[in-house]
Amino acid sequence: MSISSALESSAPSDTAPAPAIDATSLVKEYGDFTAVDGITFSVRRGESFGLLGPNGAGKSTTMRMIAAVASRTEGQMLVAGLDPEQHGPEVRARLGVIPQQDNLDEELTVRENIIMYGRYFGLPRRYLRAKADELLEFAQLEHKANSRVEDLSGGMKRRLTIARALVNEPEVLLLDEPTTGLDPQARHVLWDRLFRLKESGTTLVLTTHHMDEAEQLCDRLVVVDHGAIMAEGTPAGLIREHSTREVLELRFGTDRNAEQAKTLEELLTGAGPDADFSHIEVLPDRLLVYAGQAESALEAIHAAGHKPMTSLVRRSSLEDVFLRLTGRSLID
Amino acid sequence: MTIADYPAVNKDVLSRRVRRWGALYQAEATLRSMRAYGGVILFASTFQPIMYILAMGLGLGVLVGAETDFSAYGADSYLMYIAPAILASTVAMTAGIEFTFPVMEGFKWRRKYYGAQATALTPPQIALGHILGVSCRFGLHALIFTAVLFAFGALSSPAALLMILSSTLGALAIGLPIMAYISSLRDEKGHAAIIQRFVIMPLFLFSGTFYPLTNLPQFLQVIGWVSPIWHANELGRVLAFGQPTDLWLVAVHIGYLSAIVVVAWFAVQRVFTRRLGYDEWRGRIPGLKADQRRQERQDAKAAATESYQRSEGVPPVAFRRGVGANYYSGNIRAVFSRGLTAIRNNRGIIFISGFLEPVLFLTSFGLGVSPMISGIEAADGGTISYAMFIAPALLAVSAMNGAVFDSTWNVFFKLKITKLYRTMMSTSLGPVDVAVGEIALALFRGGIYALGFLGVLVATGLVTPLPALLMWITALFIALGFACIGMAVTSFMKRFQQMDWMMMVLIPMFLFSATLFPIDVYPTGVQWVIQALPLWHGVELMRDIAFWDFGAMTLVHIGYYLVMVGVGGALAAYRMKALFLR
Repeated sequence: MSISSALESSAPSDTAPAPAIDATSLVKEYGDFTAVDGITFSVRRGESFGLLGPNGAGKSTTMRMIAAVASRTEGQMLVAGLDPEQHGPEVRARLGVIPQQDNLDEELTVRENIIMYGRYFGLPRRYLRAKADELLEFAQLEHKANSRVEDLSGGMKRRLTIARALVNEPEVLLLDEPTTGLDPQARHVLWDRLFRLKESGTTLVLTTHHMDEAEQLCDRLVVVDHGAIMAEGTPAGLIREHSTREVLELRFGTDRNAEQAKTLEELLTGAGPDADFSHIEVLPDRLLVYAGQAESALEAIHAAGHKPMTSLVRRSSLEDVFLRLTGRSLID
Repeated sequence: MTIADYPAVNKDVLSRRVRRWGALYQAEATLRSMRAYGGVILFASTFQPIMYILAMGLGLGVLVGAETDFSAYGADSYLMYIAPAILASTVAMTAGIEFTFPVMEGFKWRRKYYGAQATALTPPQIALGHILGVSCRFGLHALIFTAVLFAFGALSSPAALLMILSSTLGALAIGLPIMAYISSLRDEKGHAAIIQRFVIMPLFLFSGTFYPLTNLPQFLQVIGWVSPIWHANELGRVLAFGQPTDLWLVAVHIGYLSAIVVVAWFAVQRVFTRRLGYDEWRGRIPGLKADQRRQERQDAKAAATESYQRSEGVPPVAFRRGVGANYYSGNIRAVFSRGLTAIRNNRGIIFISGFLEPVLFLTSFGLGVSPMISGIEAADGGTISYAMFIAPALLAVSAMNGAVFDSTWNVFFKLKITKLYRTMMSTSLGPVDVAVGEIALALFRGGIYALGFLGVLVATGLVTPLPALLMWITALFIALGFACIGMAVTSFMKRFQQMDWMMMVLIPMFLFSATLFPIDVYPTGVQWVIQALPLWHGVELMRDIAFWDFGAMTLVHIGYYLVMVGVGGALAAYRMKALFLR
């Protein structure tokens, strides 16, 4: 009670600008199912904030609550100092929403999609004509301006969806899995566009289950699972905190991975500080040996006469953090 | 026996089996997916014949039977005369649905056929499977229909059971050409509706279902000769009550229908093989050239007039505050103008086709039924022509159909398939903007259709100009009433199958609206039921205006629609969140 009233009183104050998003103890229930179970976070203006988690973790539901299209069961939320449930249109006027699946208007041309979307915000046509040109250039779609949406490739559609969401020059951009389903080249083009937006001061909130995307784009992120926050921090900080510097991936064949894990665990625990060994995760197809010095660990394993079918040394990633925190991999 | 000997894993046995029985597997898949709306199918098959018998056979039958004798055709009554034709017609109409949307679903919407393509099935087997599956539905429909007709004593010969075959043949003769056409399209953009309105409707209305084909002027009889429905109707009449027919003519009926089925089957096979075979052809895009031309025009215009300019920052937009600011942002215009742009981008023919239906109904019933009755008694004691009697009513029916379609199917489609409303709701639009904008658009469209139909009525002298003007406003009023109710009902709908039930309501409402015959052919009890339904009030209101004959009941009719607008509108507003924010 005291927290929420403190939040409300501090939000509209003139001295410090209200955070872009301020969510406290969000709960969303659909009947018996709890999609979001007490999530609290705050996003500063100009920050790039990520919600990470597997499918069904509650990311999209959280996004929908921010975007004022889903009601909260419990908790408080302020977007740019306004409650989305009380001021839906006004909150949405400050947002740009990029949903998981492109929902472009197939009955309109590319250019009409941008202009019409701007009209929904009540923007004047004169502004929109110029803005549409600008956004078409931004999305590299000038040559497709008068095409039908269905003629666009997947990557083009995604870029158009993003361009369209920028028509009102939003303060906060909500991106729900922005690059899922795109080929690597299209992803990099998109990342480049998003990075430019970030530079220009737009607040980005994105959900993803791609770790590389989170590392590329997010200043700060929360790891969500089963509707609750498991960890929070910068990508590098999370890796430092929850994983070792390096990881050794070993394959012994599907049947033998588990039993090898026990043997190796004993071996490496006794191997001394050289390897900086932490622990082993057993995945169905491989073992992940967490060690600060993975090369040393591998040497120790070879020296003891173990012969893995393949071995790979790499740096820790957010994927490892996630595995550590939830005991399962991200894309399942 | 090891698991490798098991036929399911032995690839040789398996592929032999698929080669022989593959079509049946696909048919099973079709039937299984039909089970999702099995309730609707069973209900429709039982309910539809009863409705038609009560409305047309007994209702219109009272009117027609009093003056016309059908014994020359071998039938004891009007009911008996139309019963086999109604069976054949309704099965053929079902074909019009089963060979359009499910086929498009297979290629485009759910890409089911591509799932089957990845198995050992061949493209013709996939096509045949669909045909067999839906033929089962036709057979079942015909069986139930026949049983109901027997129960009502509308059939005299056991040979009537063979109508199951004749009507299924007729349905395939209508359906297979449509299947060949639809399966050649990359995407369905109102083509099913065009087929429905420009092909199936005329073929049905001029097929001699409700009257002998010879009642029509010669040039309209030609449509009947071409129509597979007429041939199936006539076969049905031979089987049901032994309509005297030359043997050669029976052979012509069977031969004509069979020839269409065979030719169309080859066409279907060819298209399926092109799309699902190695060609991986993606289908035609009708109007592609026109699209390209338009695009070039727009490109040229853009290059000529607009030099590239950079926008100068987003202008401030005033926000509505105060009451309902969360629901209504005062921007209905944007929703409306989006709809206009979409209509402009679509094929014009879809838009035009909307006013065709009432014109066709009027032509068919006005010309076909008129010879069987000498006129309808008017309120002032005089007699008016049958066409004059049904014309105002058809305007009301058309207003209802359009409004209900726009506020239910179209809304549901944008809600569930294209997710247009989700897009709109991610902007500063509120649900009220969207709902009112959509209703306004439905009225705009309905208003143009009504204008077209009234133009025809005035031109043919069935209505005079002054009442016509008032009738136009009334058509909008009726449409508004149905749109409000439709919107409210749609907010409770979750699945497409539930939308089918709407049709189950509309057809009986039309049949029992006193559109095609005066209400007094029914006993008092039935009259009360009809008078409780909204369409009857619309029909009577239109007649009051057309015949310039107002009374206390006129006010009741108007009041009825005011209540509909009020209650429907309030309920829709109350359900607004359920409708758009889900």
